[in-house]
Amino acid sequence: MADTLTVHRAGLATVQDLGRFGHSRYGLPVNGALDQHSARVANVLAGNDEGAPLIEITALDFSCTPSTDVLIAVTGAPAEVTVGGVRRNQWEPVSVRAGETIAITGIRLGLRVYLAVLGSVRTPSLLGSCAPDTILGFAQTLRGDDELALRTHCPPIDHPVFRIPLFRLNVPMARFADSWTIDVTDGPDLAEFGDTAERLFRSAFTVTPRSNHIGLRLSGDVPRRVTSGELLSRGVPVGAVEVPAGDELLVLHRGRGVTAGYPVLAVVTATGLSALGQARPGQSVRFRRRTVADAVSAHRAQRHAIHALKSRVRTAFDALRIPATR
Amino acid sequence: MGGDIVIADCGDSAVVVKAVGGDTTRAWHTVHALADAFEAARPGGVHGIVPTYDSLLIEFDCFHTDHTTVRRALRHEADRLAERPLPAAPSRCFVVPVVYGGDHGPDLPLVAQQLGLTEHEVVALHSAAPLTVRCLGAPAAAPMMDGPAFPGPVPRLASPRISVVPGSIAVAGRQAVVSPMPSPGGWPLLGRTPLRVLDLDAEPLAPYRPGDTFQFVPITPGQWDEHAGTPLAAAHG
Repeated sequence: MADTLTVHRAGLATVQDLGRFGHSRYGLPVNGALDQHSARVANVLAGNDEGAPLIEITALDFSCTPSTDVLIAVTGAPAEVTVGGVRRNQWEPVSVRAGETIAITGIRLGLRVYLAVLGSVRTPSLLGSCAPDTILGFAQTLRGDDELALRTHCPPIDHPVFRIPLFRLNVPMARFADSWTIDVTDGPDLAEFGDTAERLFRSAFTVTPRSNHIGLRLSGDVPRRVTSGELLSRGVPVGAVEVPAGDELLVLHRGRGVTAGYPVLAVVTATGLSALGQARPGQSVRFRRRTVADAVSAHRAQRHAIHALKSRVRTAFDALRIPATR
Repeated sequence: MGGDIVIADCGDSAVVVKAVGGDTTRAWHTVHALADAFEAARPGGVHGIVPTYDSLLIEFDCFHTDHTTVRRALRHEADRLAERPLPAAPSRCFVVPVVYGGDHGPDLPLVAQQLGLTEHEVVALHSAAPLTVRCLGAPAAAPMMDGPAFPGPVPRLASPRISVVPGSIAVAGRQAVVSPMPSPGGWPLLGRTPLRVLDLDAEPLAPYRPGDTFQFVPITPGQWDEHAGTPLAAAHG
C-alpha cells in the first residue's frame, strides 16, 4: 500500500497549487494559492518545484500524520507548529518520522499557512491544475480521516535528541503585523474617479468578513466614480481595485471572474497580492502608490530571492543526500 | 481588416488593449483577431488572453516578461492584421428553449417596468432574433452576447444574488448572458433554460465560441422536462 498523509483535524484546508493558467479566454479564473510567495517558499524548502501541490490551511487548526518518514516545510502566517508534540520552526525544512503528528494551531496575524511535503501529494487535477475552483465545483477540500497519497519518503535527517536545526538557509520570510501596507499602481480607469481617487491613499481601510478568494471587501472612505454610463464587460486582472456600490472597495483576488463591468481605479501589485492573501477580517489596510517599474522590480526581487533559496536548498539537500525534485 | 488600438498598462502584470476609431462590430473583430494572432505567436511569460467586446486583457508573469516586450509583440501582430482582411469566422446557431418569468425569471416584471414594456414585449424582444456571442466570460465560460433590441439599457440589480442557478438567462446594460454554473450574479434574470450549457469534461470546455449566435425560444413550464439535461449543441452549419 502506498504511503499516505492522514488528516485528523481538517479545519479549512485544501490542496492547492499556483493556479490554473491559460484558460481565462474561456472565462476561467486562475485561482491558486492566495499567498503565492509563501506557497512558493514552502515548496522550495521541501525540495519541490515552486508550483507543486501543497496544503493551504486557512485560519483554523489543522493536524495530520504521515505513514512514512517525510520532510516538510511550513510557511505563511505565524502559528504554533508541533511535530510529535515538539515545537518546530516555520520557514525551514523539518523532518517528520512515520506516525508523528504534525499539528498547526493558533494561526495569527495572517490567515493562511502553507504545508509542503517533499515529493508533494497525489491529487486530482482539472485542466492541468489542482487549484480549487468554487464556481466549477472543483476542489480537494480536506476532511477528517482523509488520506492523501504521498509520492516519496525521506529518511530522518535531523538529530533525534537535540532537535537542532540543520539548516541556515537565509529564507525570504514574509512579514506579518496587525496592519498591512499594500502597493498598488494606477488603474486604467483612474480618471473616472476625478479628485476622489486620492481617498484611496488618504486613510486606512478595514477588511470586512465578506472577503474571500474571489475578492476582498474593504470598508472606509471610498473614492466615487464621477462619470456615469454603462460599461461593456471586459477582462479585469487579478488585483483590480473597484468600487461597485455602497461604502466598500472590492479588490479582486485569484478566484475573480475574468470579466467585469466596473471601472478599475487601481491594481494591486504582484507582491501586494501575496500580502493581501493574508489579510484577516478586521485588519487595517493602507494603500501605497507605486510606479509599474517599481512594482515589477519588487516582484522580480522577491522571485530572485526564491531562486537563490532554491540553489541553497539543493546544495544542502545534496550534502545530506535528500532526494529533492529536479 | 483590423482597426486602431490603444494599449494601457493594467498593473504590474497586465496590459489592456482597446479598439478605437470604428464601430462596435469592427472593434470586436479587431480585439478577437488580435487575441488569436497573439496567442498563436506564443509569447513567453503570457498566461491570460481575454478578448471581450472592444477590449483585450493580456496577463503575464512580470518575472519572465515585461510591459515593453508585450506591447511590442501586440503592435507587431496588430500591424500584420491591418495589412490583410479578417477571415470571416463560420457562425453556428444554438437554439435555446427558455421558460420566461415566474420562479425561472424572477426579475422579468422589474425589467419590464424599467424598460416601460409589458412582460410579453420583453420576452418577444429577447427571443425575436439570434443574439451574437461576443466572448466567453465570468462565470465559467458564460456566453456573453449583444443584448436584445430593448429601448434602453437594463440596470444591474442593486443587491447582487449570492447564487444564481445554472441555465439562468440574464440581461444587463446592452448585454445578455446564460449562466452555465451556479455563481453569484448582479444581472436581472428573465428566465431559465433546461439545457445543460457546459460539460466540464468536454474539450473544448464550451460548445460555442465568439461569433456564434443564440436563438432563444419561449417554452412553457410544462415543456421543461422535454429538454431537461439535454446538452446545448449547435442547430446547424
